[in-house]
Amino acid sequence: MIRAEGLSKSFGKRREIHAVRDVSLVAPAGAITGLLGPNGAGKTTVLRMLATLMVPDAGSASIGGLDIVRDRFAVRQRIGVLSDARGLYSRLTARENIRYYGELHGLRGAVLEQRIDTLTAALGLTALADRRAQGFSQGEKMKVAIARALVHDPDTILLDEPTNGLDIMSVRALREQLRVLKAQGKCLLFSSHVMQEIAALCDRIVILGAGRVVAEGTATQLIAQTGSQTLEDSFVALLGTGEGLAA
Amino acid sequence: MSYSALGRIVTIARKELVDTLRDRRTMMVTLFSAVAAGPIFLVLIFNLIASQADRARELELAVVGSEYAPALVAFLERQQVTLTPAPVDFETKVKAGELAVVLIVDPKFAADVAKGQQGTVTLVYDRSRDRAQASINQADSLLRAYNRQWGGQRLLLRGVAPTVANPLNVEFTDVATPQQSGALALFLIAYYGLFAAVMGGMAVALDTTAGERERASLEPLLTTPARPLELVLGKWLAVSAFNALVVILTLLGFYLTLAFAPLPAVGIPFLFGARELARFVVILLPMILLLPAIMLFMGSRGRTFKEAQANVSVLLFIVALVPAIQLFLQRKEPDWIAIVPVSGQYALLNLALRGEAVSSAQLALSYVIPVALIVIALFAVARLFAREAILAGK
Repeated sequence: MIRAEGLSKSFGKRREIHAVRDVSLVAPAGAITGLLGPNGAGKTTVLRMLATLMVPDAGSASIGGLDIVRDRFAVRQRIGVLSDARGLYSRLTARENIRYYGELHGLRGAVLEQRIDTLTAALGLTALADRRAQGFSQGEKMKVAIARALVHDPDTILLDEPTNGLDIMSVRALREQLRVLKAQGKCLLFSSHVMQEIAALCDRIVILGAGRVVAEGTATQLIAQTGSQTLEDSFVALLGTGEGLAA
Repeated sequence: MSYSALGRIVTIARKELVDTLRDRRTMMVTLFSAVAAGPIFLVLIFNLIASQADRARELELAVVGSEYAPALVAFLERQQVTLTPAPVDFETKVKAGELAVVLIVDPKFAADVAKGQQGTVTLVYDRSRDRAQASINQADSLLRAYNRQWGGQRLLLRGVAPTVANPLNVEFTDVATPQQSGALALFLIAYYGLFAAVMGGMAVALDTTAGERERASLEPLLTTPARPLELVLGKWLAVSAFNALVVILTLLGFYLTLAFAPLPAVGIPFLFGARELARFVVILLPMILLLPAIMLFMGSRGRTFKEAQANVSVLLFIVALVPAIQLFLQRKEPDWIAIVPVSGQYALLNLALRGEAVSSAQLALSYVIPVALIVIALFAVARLFAREAILAGK
């Protein structure tokens, strides 16, 4: 369960760029919450604050009851993060890449190897497991990055535009994996600027525009709220036509 | 530090080492430049010294007008000097370095001597040519020896002891032990040992910091429970271990070259045995540990490998320049130099090579500043890793 209350974050020498302003949101366990917004809406900054990589200028947030600033190292034990930056070590094999993160989370020996086997099997990586990441395709790299983020079986999972650069087959495989995690009772927060993705996957949607929460609710609620025909129409209505939606 | 923190540090260090050892290109370049280049230079320098020694032994003197001073010619020939008639364009040949030194006997030589005046001989040489130095000095000293001998004989004929004309007896005692000769080769070994400590870990340190940022693998790493200081310590241990490996291999290269390579005998029994090798490692230890810490700091400030490389080149320049300045100053160094990193190590390395004892007090003194700098650098990198700016992409 993620709870954020009035999160704000500014950048620049004089803090003149307000990336996130007064964002409050709730992402319950056993559900996929979508963070939808055009490029530059502040999705990555919100996720980075929740992932304890950035300290909010104002507001607070907790994950599983743990404060993201005060208890940040305890929070890191509980979260799995698939950030926008998801570089692998190309000279290590897929298994070694995953094992590295497992060991950093305190897993060792047979338990860890078992966990890696389970994850690689679930993600269809078994054939690649002992090959170096050097020549992996985008989709293969993403799968290893997911396995790496999930190796310690976190109960909260943050994904920043996970489908960027993936082909349709990989996107479908990813969706399938996220549904499995949801069924296991995990709390998933998923950011994207692609409407169809959010609509296809998310139970709840939080729409961000220019650093603020513009609207939130289920897809049906959002459509009803704006009196539109489709989610896309309501999205445009909520953000105003000035906001570029081009990916 | 808790057990789990220690476990994470070990995990990080091990991963970085595996990653490095698999980087074949970096390994090849580093190992080649460290292990092969030093011994190759050593062989070249030994051959240079040997050829200079040969030249000094076998003086070849081109002479103009040898017929005017037959007694001088006979004296020189008795001294094993090979005399050849000088070519017409000898001046050009001296300038071009083809002839080391030419002796010109004045055509009025015999007439002047007969009149009781001084006979004139002229040496033509080019002082700027290093390789001619030995020949010039030898020709000069042979002519002076001939002068003394001839003058002494004349005095004897007049019933005067030669000591009357030479009240001062100058004797030369060279206090350089055999190990102290060959300063160039000494300089080279100390310099290369020091340089190995700088270069050895460079590529790895930059790859593990700036490279990690460039590959976008740092951000996910920072979402794991590994604290910034643990990441830094793990990386530092890995880079230091690799650095130590390069230094030891470099020194081993020198050791094996000196022990087994067919080097020309230059009459310099060289002191670089197993004991000197061990002393070198002990002296270089603070550098082996300090430079990775500094490189990690500089690497962390670069968003890309290239950017970091540019930052580091300044550091390389300083480390390369300091010993060279020390060599050319040729003055006795002030005592405080012992605690200055790089300079202090270089001075101690020279001491060890000369076969002199390095006291543990000297050693401890040379450790002080490096240890302090290591602590400062590692905390500085940890602070950089904790800053949000580290997430800024390329």
